[in-house]
Amino acid sequence: MIDEHHEELASLYALDLLEGAELAQFEAAHAKDPALQKLVRELRESSAALAHLTQAPPPPASLKARVLALVDAHGAAATPGNVIRRPASPEPGAGSFALRHFIPWAAAAGLALAAGWVAQLYYISRSEIALLTNQQALAELALQSARNQLEAERLLAQRQLSDLTQQLKAQGDLANFKITTLASMLNNSPQALAVAVWDPARQEGILQVEKLPALATDRDYQLWVVDPQYPSPVDGGVFTVDARTGAARIPFKSKQPVKTIDAFAVTLERKGGVPKAEGPFVLLGK
Amino acid sequence: MSSCLFVGLGCTVAAPSRLEQPRPHMTAPASSQPPGERAVIDARLVQQVAQGDKQAFAELYDRFSGPLFGTALRIVRDPGEAQDIVHDAFVTVWEKASTFEASRGTAFSWVVTLVRNRAIDHVRMRRRRAELLGDSFLSDLGYPADGAAPAGDASALLGDEARMVRTAVATLPPEQRRVLELAFFGGLTQEQIAGTLQEPLGTVKARIRRGLLKLRESLTHQL
Repeated sequence: MIDEHHEELASLYALDLLEGAELAQFEAAHAKDPALQKLVRELRESSAALAHLTQAPPPPASLKARVLALVDAHGAAATPGNVIRRPASPEPGAGSFALRHFIPWAAAAGLALAAGWVAQLYYISRSEIALLTNQQALAELALQSARNQLEAERLLAQRQLSDLTQQLKAQGDLANFKITTLASMLNNSPQALAVAVWDPARQEGILQVEKLPALATDRDYQLWVVDPQYPSPVDGGVFTVDARTGAARIPFKSKQPVKTIDAFAVTLERKGGVPKAEGPFVLLGK
Repeated sequence: MSSCLFVGLGCTVAAPSRLEQPRPHMTAPASSQPPGERAVIDARLVQQVAQGDKQAFAELYDRFSGPLFGTALRIVRDPGEAQDIVHDAFVTVWEKASTFEASRGTAFSWVVTLVRNRAIDHVRMRRRRAELLGDSFLSDLGYPADGAAPAGDASALLGDEARMVRTAVATLPPEQRRVLELAFFGGLTQEQIAGTLQEPLGTVKARIRRGLLKLRESLTHQL
């Protein structure tokens, strides 16, 4: 005997109106109660009979053609149990439903397109980033090259400036040089000539002579520097000349510190020179 | 032939070999067969479909497609959508006929369940429930709003079983009829049915129980 509560649950179950815990509870009772199973079957049949209440016109003949064509399309090899794919509806009235079937595919296609678009953007962005990175590397190389060139130019300019400073200094030093032309005092060699250049900073000089007579082996020419601070000319050293040309280039230093030079003189002395001039004047210049 | 409408309940369907049984499509038209005999033939057709018999499949379509299409159309209110639902249901019949068990119910009940579930799924998916649940369902079904029986001209067009069902439904009190139709065609939950009818949930459940039991009794007695 089935009580009212289970009759009610069976009725709701036959109409698929049970849910959740109520459904699970009833199915548990249904599984072990043959009388309940019988009641459910009868109620399901009764509810299915409600399908006869509808007064719709018969379905179009094309629907039958569609159904049978689908089965025929799978040929003799097709047997029940095989999955048949339903083709798109050829019925104009079925358009909205077919469109609903198409929506998931359209959504999937849209997602695929979106994913492709995003991927394309990603690769484009990556390419642009790589390009920008290369450009940055090139720019850094160019900058480094420019820095090196600038440094080289700076070093060159510094060297040039240094050289120029040296030249200016040398020119300044040259202005302080004492340059004196010495004229011949010899009657037999009036063409004899000499130039003496004295560097007071370094206390040394150069004497360039031309066309002096060659000397006997026991004789030397001796250079004298006349400085007013000393009572006697200061010894500048002895020298000889080339016997054929009468020329000589003689670096010299004074034996004593020189402040002011009034004149240079060359005398003819015995070999090795003398502390004070004894022989005749050969050249003289102020 | 069985005289029972509910094949498998008190009168199970024998399954003679295919060679022994006559071709169903060679039998009398379905509308002129007694409902019990029709259920037996339906079950036999499904068994033949399970063997890959396309002619049996076509015969089954002819016997079922009318009420199935009407049910789908009543639920989804869209002829194209209803056709697709019926189409898909028959594809399922073709594919799953071998799983059909006559002892668990009639073939018609099985296929009606396929169509109804699909239609309700579509309705729920469309979320057009409120739109579909106007008060016009009684008139759509051929009943006047006061619950009177459908017009004779319309019922005359129906088959024997359909006429018996309509007669049985017509004997139900209007409130039971309405709640059963809402439950069967509306695709609503218990609470939604109660909300639509503005009745307590317990009242709705009781009306469903009483209406369905009475319908079962009427159909059994008529058959």
